[in-house]
Amino acid sequence: MGDGAMEKPFPRGKRLEGAGIRVRIDGLVKRFGGREVLRGLNLEIPPGEFVSIVGRSGCGKSTLLRLLAGLEDISSGTVDFDGSPPKNGYREDARIMFQDSRLLPWRTIVENTAIGLAGKKENVRACALDVLKQVGLADRADDWPGRLSGGQRQRVALARALIHRPRLLLLDEPLGALDALTRLEMQRLIENIWKRYEFTAVLVTHDVAEAVILGDRIVLIEDGLITFDEKVALPRPREYGQSEVAAIGRRALDRIMSVNSLNVRNQVKGKIVDIQLGQPLSEVVIEAAGGFIAATVSSRSLSEQPLELETEVLAFFKSNEVILAVNSGSE
Amino acid sequence: MSIVSVRDLTQRFKENIQPWIVPMAILVFWQASSRLGWLSSRILPEPLAVVKAGINLALSGELFRHIWISSLRASGGFFAGGGLGLLLGLLTGSFRRMEIVLDTSLQMIRNIPPLALIPLAILWFGIDETAKIFLISLGVFFVIYINTFHGIRSVDPALLEMGKSYGLKGWALYREIILPGALSSILVGVRYAFGFMWVILIVAETISAQEGIGYMTMNAREFLQTDVVLLGIILYAILGKLADMLARALERHWLKWNAACETT
Repeated sequence: MGDGAMEKPFPRGKRLEGAGIRVRIDGLVKRFGGREVLRGLNLEIPPGEFVSIVGRSGCGKSTLLRLLAGLEDISSGTVDFDGSPPKNGYREDARIMFQDSRLLPWRTIVENTAIGLAGKKENVRACALDVLKQVGLADRADDWPGRLSGGQRQRVALARALIHRPRLLLLDEPLGALDALTRLEMQRLIENIWKRYEFTAVLVTHDVAEAVILGDRIVLIEDGLITFDEKVALPRPREYGQSEVAAIGRRALDRIMSVNSLNVRNQVKGKIVDIQLGQPLSEVVIEAAGGFIAATVSSRSLSEQPLELETEVLAFFKSNEVILAVNSGSE
Repeated sequence: MSIVSVRDLTQRFKENIQPWIVPMAILVFWQASSRLGWLSSRILPEPLAVVKAGINLALSGELFRHIWISSLRASGGFFAGGGLGLLLGLLTGSFRRMEIVLDTSLQMIRNIPPLALIPLAILWFGIDETAKIFLISLGVFFVIYINTFHGIRSVDPALLEMGKSYGLKGWALYREIILPGALSSILVGVRYAFGFMWVILIVAETISAQEGIGYMTMNAREFLQTDVVLLGIILYAILGKLADMLARALERHWLKWNAACETT
């Protein structure tokens, strides 16, 4: 709390030289109970780089971010910031922005922004107002968070992170709950602020296009490992419609959707014998050597990628979703 | 525009008046039946007699002395019991070890109705003020304790995680997140405690007292002064209502952020 670094006033529009942290992740493993969520992940992020991490839900991307923020303990492996491991995983110049804004409902906007900032009352308020101005919310400083829209709340959350002058900003799907227009606005805002302060940024998102628009680099995590890592050398600002953006996004998506990207275990070959259409879910029945397998798929993805009867397919499932019972009825 | 606002005014007038129609009708009917001799004043005195008794007692100053004494007892018991309940609730809510050591015992004692302890309280403390304040404290204590404990336990863990990752710890974390998060639950406890406080006070005062509203009514009963008995009952009602209004005012003051949420 009483750290000297926090008492320094927020640099008003001043550019910080070499502000970003160099992050080095070596053989990072995270286990929850017996389940390995991250399985020896390696990643190096040069200072000031904006890395977008994409992946299916449950692939471990949010866990990686929480480990970087020090919210979870590392099972094994190392995380280095500027060549030295952070104390207890917590580092005061790294700040995380959550998917839900997590503003304190009983504190005003300006008080929320100044959370964790020590110093004289007037100085703290001046700092907070200054950052609020940068996210365009100075006029709402004395309102309660309950009066703000989702996008405005996330802007306050961004201001709250920025006030600590983070050298590493961790973004855990901060735009996931926003409507499309607000999302575009926030992407622009985050990009501009990142350009201005040159911190290292790690964005976790499930929107591949967003990842390409914001990232210097796209990293795909699958089943606890990095399986795709590509630089995005396009000029900024990038637009959703741009063909290069779409092309890179396509490559990442293809990789996510391809068969070999999924767990290589638990694959069963079979033939489609029945398709029961329904809304919003449809059922596809596959005849495999050992019997029938029913797959519930969303009707939307079925209409995007139609399947036909008699088609040869691979069915696969997560190992932790297999239920075993002793077959007492067999001879 | 003006027509609308006139209609609006009459609408508001109706809304404010309508709840009072039934009570007023009952009062009028009651007064009339007393006057016409349908209702004996031994059973129920006429409303005007109650008002007169109130004025007489107020003029002699006796009324205010009784109210003062009763209020002192109530607030003394409330602060002693409520303060202790708040303190222990904060301790058991915040520290797992304190919960393990204390909570089971407190939960066991909680199941004893405070009024069942009247004989014991008289044996321990005599029929003095101490016994009354002890009983009130006991009743208030558990209501506040339980609500404080649950309030602290139900603070949003996501907010706590945010606070910690933004460098809050120790007292700062407590002041910024845990206490405000628990406050609405604590205030619910305060409101319940206020209600319970009067119930115990009434019983304690009717058992044995030389002063106070309870003594006033019991004394009046001896002399068949039904108007004074009724006056005492009405006083309890008014004091209870005042305490409730105080609790609501506290809620409005401390939870004003909550009202801001509701209006949007």
